[in-house]
Amino acid sequence: MITDIFVMALAAMKSYKVRTFLTLIGVIIGVASVIMVTTAGGSVSSFVAEQFNVFNPTGMVIGTGTGGDTPQLSMRSVVFTTNDVEKIQNLPSIKAVAPVGIVPLNKILKRDGFLKWESRPGETMYASTPDLLTIFNLDLEEGTMFEEGKNEVIISKNVAEIFGQDKPLQVGDTIYLRRVDGKTLTAKVVGILKESKTTTMLGAMGNPGIICPIKPYYSTYFGSNAGTILKRVVAYTVLLAEATDTKHVQDAQNQILKYLDSGGSDASKYKDQSLDFVVITQQYILVRIEQVVNVIRVYITAIALISLLIGAIGIANIMFATVTERTREIGTMMAIGAKRRDILQLFLYQSMIIGLLGGLLGCITGASGSWFVVDLLNRSIQNLGGAIATGTINVIYAPEWFLIASIVGILIGVAAGVLPARKAAKMDPVEALRYE
Amino acid sequence: MKDYVIEIDSLTKTYQTGKTDFKALNTVTLKIKKGDFVAIMGPSGSGKSTLMNIIGCLDRPTSGTVIIDGENISTVSDNELAEIRGRKIGFIFQKFNLVSTMTALKNIALPMVFLGGTRADRDQRAAELLGKVGLTNWATHLPSELSGGQQQRIAIARALSNNPSIILADEPTGNLDTKTGEQIMKLLVALNKEGKTILLVTHAIALKRFTNRVVNMLDGKISEKK
Repeated sequence: MITDIFVMALAAMKSYKVRTFLTLIGVIIGVASVIMVTTAGGSVSSFVAEQFNVFNPTGMVIGTGTGGDTPQLSMRSVVFTTNDVEKIQNLPSIKAVAPVGIVPLNKILKRDGFLKWESRPGETMYASTPDLLTIFNLDLEEGTMFEEGKNEVIISKNVAEIFGQDKPLQVGDTIYLRRVDGKTLTAKVVGILKESKTTTMLGAMGNPGIICPIKPYYSTYFGSNAGTILKRVVAYTVLLAEATDTKHVQDAQNQILKYLDSGGSDASKYKDQSLDFVVITQQYILVRIEQVVNVIRVYITAIALISLLIGAIGIANIMFATVTERTREIGTMMAIGAKRRDILQLFLYQSMIIGLLGGLLGCITGASGSWFVVDLLNRSIQNLGGAIATGTINVIYAPEWFLIASIVGILIGVAAGVLPARKAAKMDPVEALRYE
Repeated sequence: MKDYVIEIDSLTKTYQTGKTDFKALNTVTLKIKKGDFVAIMGPSGSGKSTLMNIIGCLDRPTSGTVIIDGENISTVSDNELAEIRGRKIGFIFQKFNLVSTMTALKNIALPMVFLGGTRADRDQRAAELLGKVGLTNWATHLPSELSGGQQQRIAIARALSNNPSIILADEPTGNLDTKTGEQIMKLLVALNKEGKTILLVTHAIALKRFTNRVVNMLDGKISEKK
């Protein structure tokens, strides 16, 4: 008989389709929010765990920009000299330092046959030292590291394929790099980078497509802020550094900032007054990601709770309306033998079905919505620390939350339906039958 | 004694309206034999509806005893009252009171739902009753798709579904035209001939001719005339 009354409840709802749907919306939004917040949270947690494995947790970027609680790199000034690199290298908590010079390229050329040339628009090239790879946990898939002073470069998989996937550049090939100052330099490809899940801190500067030695590719008298350099000293936009171990990351950061701000550094002389020195550690990035996620989590949780509450009120409201509207039918059912319990069940089932439907539809909506939330998170992460990018967060669903959310939907339906259903069950049949 | 299907003794029903008590029924004593077709008549406020509600187990007496088909309804619980109502009473209303969201067949089967049993049995019984009231082809129609006369036939079939001993018809022709009303009354007469006890509450003196007994009510008391 329970199932019979359930079927009756379903039939009643079928005849109030629009009303049922409108009532569902509140529950759908609430449950969808729960799904989104848990999916986003889970996705980020697994992302962060993955990053700790892939990142070199002792790595950091030294540059100029705006300091404070949320430091941002600006990447505009060329201020760090070779002297600074050496001084920082000698700080007690520093294991390695790798300068990074940006070499903008106009074109990448390749000889195709005897007189034919193939040309591609230039990538951004980074001039650095072999330490760059260790600091960022980048590995070579094939070939070897370049040697300082030689016309050798290592390239990423993407760059290897710029002349076509069918004829990728190979170790040993020679390419020609035309810098923005018009000078063309030959380069022998000596190594190809393994694809990495994270594009590391260099990401937002442009994926490290080509990495070259400082000599002969990099010099300071071209590039953005060359005018501020008085002498022909080699200077860099950013430095990458590695602390001696994970416990000394904070120390290393403090030591670097102390040195740079002391006035004894070359960088403090060349630096624009409006800019601060900024040291961003890999650890900081992960902390920031979690902070961003927590803010989003708080907001979505608030939305979830409010919508679930509104959803519950909506259900209660509509159930009261339905009960009042069907007063005479309730009286009739009582007259033909319905017990109070039957009437109670009939209306509880209806609100429960609304809750269940809302829960299920909310799960579907939440599952799709999670893609947008994670996309939003990925965008926020791209902006973290200005020039710093990391990998992308993948959507990872937590199946148990779909179950929990559906149950929450049902519970809300039942809770919201209790008062209206009691009102129906407590009706005096004589009065209910007289109701117009 | 056992020939009586309804035995009412010194029944009083008092309603509180504000601070004054209103006696809707004042020491009514009435016995109705099995197989009777009784018209209960009287002006508005005479107490006939209240009497009807108490016989129909929708309401309880303030004092006095009411025995319906052997069950003393003054002393039973709400649930038992609902059970008695479902088993022993078939209601026919002026406004048909079909459940708007259910088909004709499901409406007829509804009283059986509240008493249990399998769906197959119920649907079979409902289909039989649908045939009895001549609406076999209308099984899957919703009440809104039926005429008033057809709706009242469905309501009569519904009243019969639990094979009750008493049928209470409250102005069953009140919302129908004369011709259709006549047909409904003939259907009730036919049921009476099959042995059902029928109580008809009405204003319409013209319906007296279908009945074999008339109970007149005035000011909460019975003034019976043969």
